[in-house]
Amino acid sequence: MNSIKRIVWTAALSLLIVPILGAQAVKFTEHRLKNGLRVILSEDHSAPTYSISVTYNAGSRDERDGRTGFAHLFEHMMFQGSENVGKGEHFIIIENNGGGMNGSTNSDRTEYHETLPANQIDLGLFLEADRMKSLAITPSNLENQKETVKEERRQRYDNQPYGLTFDTLFEVSYDNFAYKHSTIGSMEDLGAATVKDVADFFKTYYAPNNAVLTLVGDFKTSEALQKIEKYFGAIPAQPAPKPVDMTEPPQKAERRKVLEDPLAQVARLDISYKIPPGNTTDWYALYVLGEILSTGQSSRLYQSLVRDKQVAVQVGAGTFERRGPSLFLVDVFVTPGKDPKEVEKLVVDELERLKTELVTDAELQKVRMAVKRAKVEQLQGTLYRAQALGEYAVFYNDPNVINTGNDKLMNITKEQIRNAVRTYVTANNRTVLTTIPKPKPAGGAQ
Amino acid sequence: MKARKLSSLFVALTLLVGTTAAGQQEDHAPETSKVERKNRAPVSKDILKVTLPRATEATLSNGLTVLIMENNRLPLISMQFNISGAGPIFEPSSVPGLASIAATMLREGTKTRNSVQIAEQTSLLGAEISASAGFGSSSTVINASGLSDNFDQWLALTDDILLNPTFPADELNRLKQRLKAQLKQQRANPSFLSNETFARAVYGPHPASVVAATNESIDAITPEMLLKWHQDRYTPQNTILGITGDVKAADVVQKLEKALAAWKKTDLKEVLPPNPKAAAAKRVLLVDRPGSVQTTVALGNIAIDRRDPDYIALNVANHILGGGPAARLFLNLREEKGYTYGVYSNFTALKYPGPWRAGGDVRTEVTAGAMTEFMKEFSRIRDEKVPASELEEAKRAIVAGFALSLESPSELLGYAIVRKIYGFPADYWDTYPAQVMAITADDVQRVARKYINPENLQVVAVGDVGKIRPVMEKYGPVEVYNADGKKVTN
Repeated sequence: MNSIKRIVWTAALSLLIVPILGAQAVKFTEHRLKNGLRVILSEDHSAPTYSISVTYNAGSRDERDGRTGFAHLFEHMMFQGSENVGKGEHFIIIENNGGGMNGSTNSDRTEYHETLPANQIDLGLFLEADRMKSLAITPSNLENQKETVKEERRQRYDNQPYGLTFDTLFEVSYDNFAYKHSTIGSMEDLGAATVKDVADFFKTYYAPNNAVLTLVGDFKTSEALQKIEKYFGAIPAQPAPKPVDMTEPPQKAERRKVLEDPLAQVARLDISYKIPPGNTTDWYALYVLGEILSTGQSSRLYQSLVRDKQVAVQVGAGTFERRGPSLFLVDVFVTPGKDPKEVEKLVVDELERLKTELVTDAELQKVRMAVKRAKVEQLQGTLYRAQALGEYAVFYNDPNVINTGNDKLMNITKEQIRNAVRTYVTANNRTVLTTIPKPKPAGGAQ
Repeated sequence: MKARKLSSLFVALTLLVGTTAAGQQEDHAPETSKVERKNRAPVSKDILKVTLPRATEATLSNGLTVLIMENNRLPLISMQFNISGAGPIFEPSSVPGLASIAATMLREGTKTRNSVQIAEQTSLLGAEISASAGFGSSSTVINASGLSDNFDQWLALTDDILLNPTFPADELNRLKQRLKAQLKQQRANPSFLSNETFARAVYGPHPASVVAATNESIDAITPEMLLKWHQDRYTPQNTILGITGDVKAADVVQKLEKALAAWKKTDLKEVLPPNPKAAAAKRVLLVDRPGSVQTTVALGNIAIDRRDPDYIALNVANHILGGGPAARLFLNLREEKGYTYGVYSNFTALKYPGPWRAGGDVRTEVTAGAMTEFMKEFSRIRDEKVPASELEEAKRAIVAGFALSLESPSELLGYAIVRKIYGFPADYWDTYPAQVMAITADDVQRVARKYINPENLQVVAVGDVGKIRPVMEKYGPVEVYNADGKKVTN
């Protein structure tokens, strides 16, 4: 236990900020192993279960030109076995013990998790430690997974209606390579990855000092710490990865693109605005705006575009949360026969109105009720908390954003929303992507 | 915090469908595409024994059954009305979609609130209220949830929506436009086409063969039809209401008695249509999607209803065959052969018999190989006794999984509702684990032989018919449909 340096943290602060639901704060303790592994533990004995999550500070933003898709390809390699776990054995073991598991990669992090009955605490720790320590990197495993990921790309992107819309929107919106390129990557780059790439990536990014381990659920903190030391303590630290330059040059003019999609049946309009990173006042203000615009049937865009004018069959708006420059997005599925340009004008008019007219008390109240409820609901299952604590630790070096983020949302004012709209929702900062059904070839049967 | 809704929905690439073994196996044939078990992980041999909480039962004076599961840990309440007799299997065959449109329209206007007011009030209370009537179902389900400190208010709103809908014509017309756009969109989706054709193949004349409304039925539905459907079919004596969360059973029964007093008992009894029967002869239904890079395969036939004594044995057999990532189909077709992103099997067991079904998406070029492996696995589970260790693992997986459900009050409530719907004894879920553990290799083989039968298999494949037809002809007489669901003469 001496080897674990304990960083004391208390949830008492958040009790002061939101007295109504202070009892609903997520309480946790933070620790760090000698090798730099950050550990976050949150006991919850309401069900005989626990979730374990490992968040690596590695995502597609860490990729270099010519290796797009690599972080995600690497995620697949993490299931190809390690010193004491056979290929595929990971999910066989989890499944046979009544558990759940998954892993995911995005631009900003890669995350792995298991949820298990409480008596299998050693199992989750062992599985995560073994692959952090001793991943099996072989040419045949790599070839194997390259094909898999290509297949995944075909299935989830190339063969889905609107499958390429989001990645195209990011590509046009951003200038910095880190967020400009897609997480799934190009076929060419996937094919080019080498065993050395995998070994280097593993050594640099999958080191304990570049990861956060979170446990939430039915365990005793002191016992869990001993086990964590036992399983993870001997994994050597590595030099910290080079920080990524996330600088995004200011956008000077509106950008537009039309994408023809052979699988789409109705036109779709996507509008993005570049905004500050997550966990900033402007980001929270625009998050609240997104709720006001599109959450629930009483929201502004639903009422105006879907219900009143019937120019849209579905509409969404909101902030995309990134640790670097984020986006405010609006997406609209256009009613067949309606002109996407007309719909675009209606959306832009709605947004422009926000620069002079403040949102209403009732609109703010609805968002606050939703946040109040979300604060309670996040205490229900263990997995969400495990993932969120780890993600906020990696993104903002502050796992307590799981509590303070909700408090900040609660306290956003009408003026803060208006100011954020005035600053970021501007024509020069806008990207407009229209995805339209690709005209069918004459005589085509599709 | 819901702040990450976009990132989780659109950009994170999840893994469960991403651990696939290689694509072009024939070329590389890497030895590592064999699943390997080192058995060194520290597994606790004990299965964590859990007791699922039982619900308190009450019957209101109008005949409505209430199941209450108190859980005072968090200030939340969820309720679910299961209105039997109001499901799509009872709608006139000329208007598919009537039940689901009625359910959606509940929120679009009552005697005292219009659509906007309902939406506004729901959000201001932080509540969520939704209603649906899934195709093939015998009931309409209304879910309502919110915080316990304003329960009285959102309960009143829920009551109003349930009891006093007016189905206003202008709102109906708006909904119709959206539904038609959805219909158009879903025909681009291979899994929709597969579900539609499979349901037709296995259910035959039974109303569960319908999986979607049509443009014609949407046009034909009027406010009067919806009102009549609501009046006739939404009845308290056929409803089970489950409530879980921060409530006191005695209080909530009183509250409901008052709130639902206006809902009067009727004579309607749920009378099911004649049961679907397993098709006697094998056949192949192909849906043409030229240029499709994958074939979406669905294989199966009618098996059992939920009360069938074979239910638990078939559950274990299915788990072994295709119930998850540790099952035979997945390990064979994905991990070893690399034909797919994921293949599974499942079975539907409701008040009437439903199908077992195996399938998934495979690359067009390997459709033949995939079909061979499916058939091989069907034969293996019929012809060979399942090895003891594999059987034990499957049973263990099913029983150990109960512990995780304790994290979710709504899942626990779901267990209580299932018990009530099917009239199982009060200790049904208490004895369930022991019943699972009692299943033998003989039981598994017996139900596999009874229900998984290549001789009457209904085979559905959505894909590029020009390429896959020669492969599929081996499995029975072929019928070809287009993406509009119309039979193609050929």
